Amino acid sequence: MAASLPRSTAAAATAATPDSESGPRLWDPVVRVSHWGIALVVLFNAVLDQGGGTLHVTLGWIGMALLALRFIWGFAGPAEARFTAFPPRPVAALAHLGALRRGALRRYRSHNPAGALMAYALWALLALIMATGLIMTGGRTPMRVAEENAAVAAGDWSVLVKTGKTGEDAGKGLKKAAGEVHEMAADLILILVLLHVAGVAVESRALGRNLLAPMLAGGRRQ
Amino acid sequence: MSGGDLRAARIRQTRALAGFLVVQTLAAVFFVGDVIGDLIADPGSVHFIFEALVTAALVLGVAFGAFALRRTIEMMRAQETALSVAQGELAQVIGEQFTDWRLTQAERDVGMLALKGLDVAEIAELRGAAQGTVRAQLTRIYAKAGVSGRAQFAAFFVEDLLGEGVRPATPVAPAAT
Ligand code: HEM
Ligand code: HEM
Repeated sequence: MAASLPRSTAAAATAATPDSESGPRLWDPVVRVSHWGIALVVLFNAVLDQGGGTLHVTLGWIGMALLALRFIWGFAGPAEARFTAFPPRPVAALAHLGALRRGALRRYRSHNPAGALMAYALWALLALIMATGLIMTGGRTPMRVAEENAAVAAGDWSVLVKTGKTGEDAGKGLKKAAGEVHEMAADLILILVLLHVAGVAVESRALGRNLLAPMLAGGRRQ
Repeated sequence: MSGGDLRAARIRQTRALAGFLVVQTLAAVFFVGDVIGDLIADPGSVHFIFEALVTAALVLGVAFGAFALRRTIEMMRAQETALSVAQGELAQVIGEQFTDWRLTQAERDVGMLALKGLDVAEIAELRGAAQGTVRAQLTRIYAKAGVSGRAQFAAFFVEDLLGEGVRPATPVAPAAT
C-alpha cells in the first residue's frame, strides 16, 4: 500500500480539481435556437428595420414564440435548462461578482448567479417590449398587419378608419404610452445586452473556459 | 465504432425534434393570436371553431414535442455517461458528480481517496489531518450524496461503469422528473 500511496494522491489531486465543469459542455438545441433567434430579432427590430412595419411585427411575433418556447423549456427541459437550476438570487449574484474580483470562482452546473439574473432581466424586458408592441398593434397578427399595410399602400385608407374606430380616444392615449415604453425598453435592452456580452467575456477569462462555445455548436469534447 | 454511429444518430434525432418543436411553436403562437382575434370578431362561426381545434392540437403537439425531446436528450446523456466511463473517464464523471453534490474542495479530495479504497487512518495520514476530521468529512459526503455509507458510495459509481445508467444522474432528487 505504502508504495502506491503517492501515486493515488497525485491522481486524486489532479482529478478533483480541473475536470469539474461550470455549465454544460453544450447547451441543448432549444436553448441555443431560442437564444440566437431572439438575439437576431432584437438586433433587427431595435436597429435595422422600421418600427411598426410588417417585417418588424413578424419578427416580433417570432421572438414571442421563441420566448414562449424557452419558458416551456424552463419547466420541461433537461436539468440545466430548467429555471430551478438557476433561480434568481440577487444576493448570490453580488457574492458571485465579489468572488469574480477575488478570483475565487465557484462552479455552477447552469448559469452563474449573476448570469442568471441577467437572463431574467433580459427576458422580462423582452416580455415588456412584446406586450407593449401588442398593445400598439391592437393584438393584430402579422398576417393582418401585412394585409392592412398592403391595402394602405394600394390607396385604400378605409382600413385605418376601421382600426381607429375600435381604439377610440382612450385607446389612443394607451397606445401612445405603450409606444414610449416600447422604445425605452428597446434602448434599455441594448445596454443590457452589451453588459451581458461583457459579462460572458469576463467570466470566460476568469474561468479559463470559453462560455460562448457551448452556446454555439463547438466545444463538444473540450 | 458503433458507439459513434449511435451517438451521431441520436444527435440527428435531437436536431430533428428540436427543429420540429420550434416550427410547431411558431405555428401555435401565430394561430393562438389569430384565434383570439376571431374570438373577439365572430365566436360562433364554423371557421372559428375549426381554427380553435387546430390550435388546440398544435399546442398539445408542442407539449408532447418538448417532452419527447427532453427524453431523447436525457437518454443520449445517459448513454454518453456509460460510454465515457467505459473509455476510462471515470475520474471526470466522479468530478462532475461531486460538483453536483456541492462537495467542498476538501470533501472532494477525501471522497476521491475513499473511492480509491484508502481507510480513514490512511486518508488522515496523507492529508495531515486528524482521523476525527476525516470521519466527519466522510459523514458529510455520504449525507450530500444521499448514500448510507462507504459501500453504497462506491456502488454509486460502479453502477455507471456497468452501463445501466438510464436513471437520472442525481439519486437524491427523484421527484424532479
Ligand atoms: C440581443 C441579444 C441577446 C440577448 C437578448 C441575450 C439573452 C440571453 C439569455 C436570456 C441567456 C440565458 C440563456 C438561456 O438560459 O436560455 C443568454 C445566455 C448566453 N448568451 Fe446571450 N443574449 C444576447 C446576445 C448575446 C451575444 C451577442 C453573445 C455573444 C457573445 C451572447 C452569449 C451568451 C452566452 C455565452 C450565454 C451563456 C452564458 C452561460 O454560460 O451562463 N449573447 N443570453
Ligand atoms: C424584440 C422585440 C422588439 C424590439 C427590440 C422592438 C423595438 C422597437 C423600436 C426601437 C421601435 C421604435 C422604432 C422607430 O421609432 O422607428 C419600435 C416601434 C414599434 N414596434 Fe417594436 N420592437 C420589438 C417587438 C415588437 C412587437 C412584438 C410588436 C408588435 C406586436 C412591435 C410593434 C411596434 C410598433 C407598432 C412600433 C411603432 C411605434 C410607433 O410608430 O410609434 N414591436 N419597436
